[in-house]
Amino acid sequence: MKIPERILKKVEKPARYTGGEWGQVIKDKNAVDVRFAFCFPDTYEIGMSNLGLRILYHVLNSHEDTWAERAYAPWVDMEACMREENIPLWAHESGDPLKEFDILGFSVQYELCYTNVLNMLELAGIPLLSKDRDESFPVIMAGGPCTYNIEPIADYFDLCMIGEGEEVIEELVELYKEHKKKGFRKQAYLRDAAKIEGVYVPAFYEPTYNGDGTLASFRPIYDDVPVKINKRIVKDLNKSPFPTKLVLPFIQIVQDKITLEVYRGCIRGCRFCQAGMVWRPVREKTTDVLCEQAKVLADATGYDEMTLSSLSISDYSCIDKLTDELLQWTDERKISLSLPSLRVDSFTKELMEKISTVRTGSLTFAPEAGTQRLRDVINKNVRKEDLLRACRVAFEGGKTQVKLYFMQGLPTETYEDLDGIKELAESVIDEFYHTPNRPKKAPGVTLSTACFIPKPFTPFQWEAQCDMDELLARQKYLDGKIKDRKIKYNYHDAKVSRIEAVFARGDRKLNAALMEAHKRGLRFDGWDEHFNYEEWLKAFEAAGVDPSFYANRAFGEDELLPWDHIDIGVTKEFFLRERHRAYAETTTKNCRETCNGCGANRLGGERSCCPGLKK
Amino acid sequence: MLSGPQKIRVKFSKTGSLKFISHLDLNRTVKSAFLRSKLPIWYTKGFNPHPKTVFSVPLSVGTASLCEFMDFKITEAVPGEVICATLNSVFPDGLRAIEAYEPTSKFHDIGWADYEIRLEIANAETYVERVKSALNEPIVIEKTTKIGTRTLDVSPFVKVLSVTEENGELALRVKLCCDDANFVNPKYVIEFLTGKLGVPGERDDYSVCRTAVYREDGVTPFK
Repeated sequence: MKIPERILKKVEKPARYTGGEWGQVIKDKNAVDVRFAFCFPDTYEIGMSNLGLRILYHVLNSHEDTWAERAYAPWVDMEACMREENIPLWAHESGDPLKEFDILGFSVQYELCYTNVLNMLELAGIPLLSKDRDESFPVIMAGGPCTYNIEPIADYFDLCMIGEGEEVIEELVELYKEHKKKGFRKQAYLRDAAKIEGVYVPAFYEPTYNGDGTLASFRPIYDDVPVKINKRIVKDLNKSPFPTKLVLPFIQIVQDKITLEVYRGCIRGCRFCQAGMVWRPVREKTTDVLCEQAKVLADATGYDEMTLSSLSISDYSCIDKLTDELLQWTDERKISLSLPSLRVDSFTKELMEKISTVRTGSLTFAPEAGTQRLRDVINKNVRKEDLLRACRVAFEGGKTQVKLYFMQGLPTETYEDLDGIKELAESVIDEFYHTPNRPKKAPGVTLSTACFIPKPFTPFQWEAQCDMDELLARQKYLDGKIKDRKIKYNYHDAKVSRIEAVFARGDRKLNAALMEAHKRGLRFDGWDEHFNYEEWLKAFEAAGVDPSFYANRAFGEDELLPWDHIDIGVTKEFFLRERHRAYAETTTKNCRETCNGCGANRLGGERSCCPGLKK
Repeated sequence: MLSGPQKIRVKFSKTGSLKFISHLDLNRTVKSAFLRSKLPIWYTKGFNPHPKTVFSVPLSVGTASLCEFMDFKITEAVPGEVICATLNSVFPDGLRAIEAYEPTSKFHDIGWADYEIRLEIANAETYVERVKSALNEPIVIEKTTKIGTRTLDVSPFVKVLSVTEENGELALRVKLCCDDANFVNPKYVIEFLTGKLGVPGERDDYSVCRTAVYREDGVTPFK
């Protein structure tokens, strides 16, 4: 800990910055070959909750010759102190400046943290652009969901890991060691790294554009660099690295509990959902392995809450067996079990009784759209009857509050669909009063709507986002419709969603806009108190890019997309097929019922529901 | 097996990173350490079982201590040394169990505490005499509580033990009252001094450590 105490005394939540937590890994820096720092471009509380980073921290630190540390975006009060006193951004474990490290690995989880990446580099005293960094600076890597379309921020990274990082990160560090031994040259390292499957070196590719601003071509500049970059996956999750010791924060973090990852991928095929596509194919852990891991984590952490993590937990093939076996000992150990991401069609009395130890009076479901027509368009495959049945189960079990998540501005959405949201909420209230053994308290429904954001690698990747006035009009419309005081309506800021949409489908021209935004002092865009839409518009203007081109334009089906050089296994043909089915209001069955030929089975994987898996 | 849960008091220190942990977060840290330790901690019955942990006089965030106390209950007899060793094996650095025993006193019996205050000032030695004489006069401070801000003289509740220059720092050892009514936060003494003496530099350039805790007489160590 090298931050002067007088600064720690001045800032909010100083324990964000001290390090020294239980479970942190300390090594002798002179005895290791590679110093790596995982950088999370948001606050400590959010970064510490990230499961991927916990796994990778464990993976790298299990090598004796590598020391992996952590760094987070300092909150604005700390940033002010650092700038005033010229304190460079440091790593938590050693307190050493990030500039002294060999490799910095940024975890890029959402578009709204891009400005924080730039700000962290600046605070570390590292040139922002990859081309301005020579061997005297750390190699800057990126991983995480945003790397599936990293183009808008590609100029700042030296290389990106596409897909699941457990294996590729070891290969990259191994390669770094080899290069370090023979005298490290950045270009030579990147050239060799680009040959590793799942590694994308943005500088080795050159885009050309058509007169209308769309991509004309996107090609590697060297012959030995792959034209398409394949996503990496861990084939057998049972054998995938699993952290046996976690860093335990002193202060409360967002996910302050044991997160037990049950499986990856999703059998559903919601047409707006990127996670459901990029994590394919589905790969499960066995119940035995999960129970064993749960015990190890409980012993190692002393947490009293455990959540089963996946994209849709009730779709785990052995969910009953798993919860039964866990409950055999969690009660005795004072650990409460929670199941997030429950689907209404799988929510049963038995399941609720199992998780009844959860100390909350509310349940959350995500119908996503207000009418059956629109739910068919997005392939949610949930019916109103399912929702009402699930609510009845909840009410009978003593719950009175239901939270419902929706999206507004979905493709083909009409005002009728918005009415549907209101009617669905009213039906839930009615259902409460029609439940004979309902609790004696008054019911409540909270509607939360997000704005639809077209994301790469989804059937809706070609769709335009509703323009801002229309989004606001729809929010206002729904707000005006809701008269029942038992129904509360919250909605996301359309301006934030628009910026997110710009960067989600952006190309390299946006790197300049990002630089402009950074120069205007923008950071923490995901935080209401720091988001500044007007400054963003000025940044786009200064960089000469039109945000509508990315957010509010329907991309052509024959257009070369900025992310077409990334291969996630699921094919573009599948997405097109699904898009057309959406417009025909036709649903697609889940992966357990039938194989829809998305292409992800090419990647292989153990305990999957895909037919014809490559072993 | 004990006939009922037995009360245990652990004396511990809170230094290093742990200085910056609030009272609430200390509670969480201890709670998870208890679960890791697998000691036979007694939990409250009911819907939300938790170990009933009670801490002595709370510390301000940023203040270190060599003499904190916490009480909890155990369901099986465990020797004090074993409790300390087990807790230390699961405590983060900066949190150290020193002693564990069955308590015979109440936290309410605590009346005074010693603090070591270190101020980083240029030419610290030139301040020694001035500080000594300043602390001999009425120590008038602004005390802010829930009911508002009062101006009062806390000199009856401040006993100066020593004022010296050590390694270029001004080291001040004081005994301050810490009963509920007349609690003197060490920061009041620092504010009084920096205001009175016009000490240059940042007011945040100081460190505070609670070094001992006494009963109401200010002489008998609290145990």
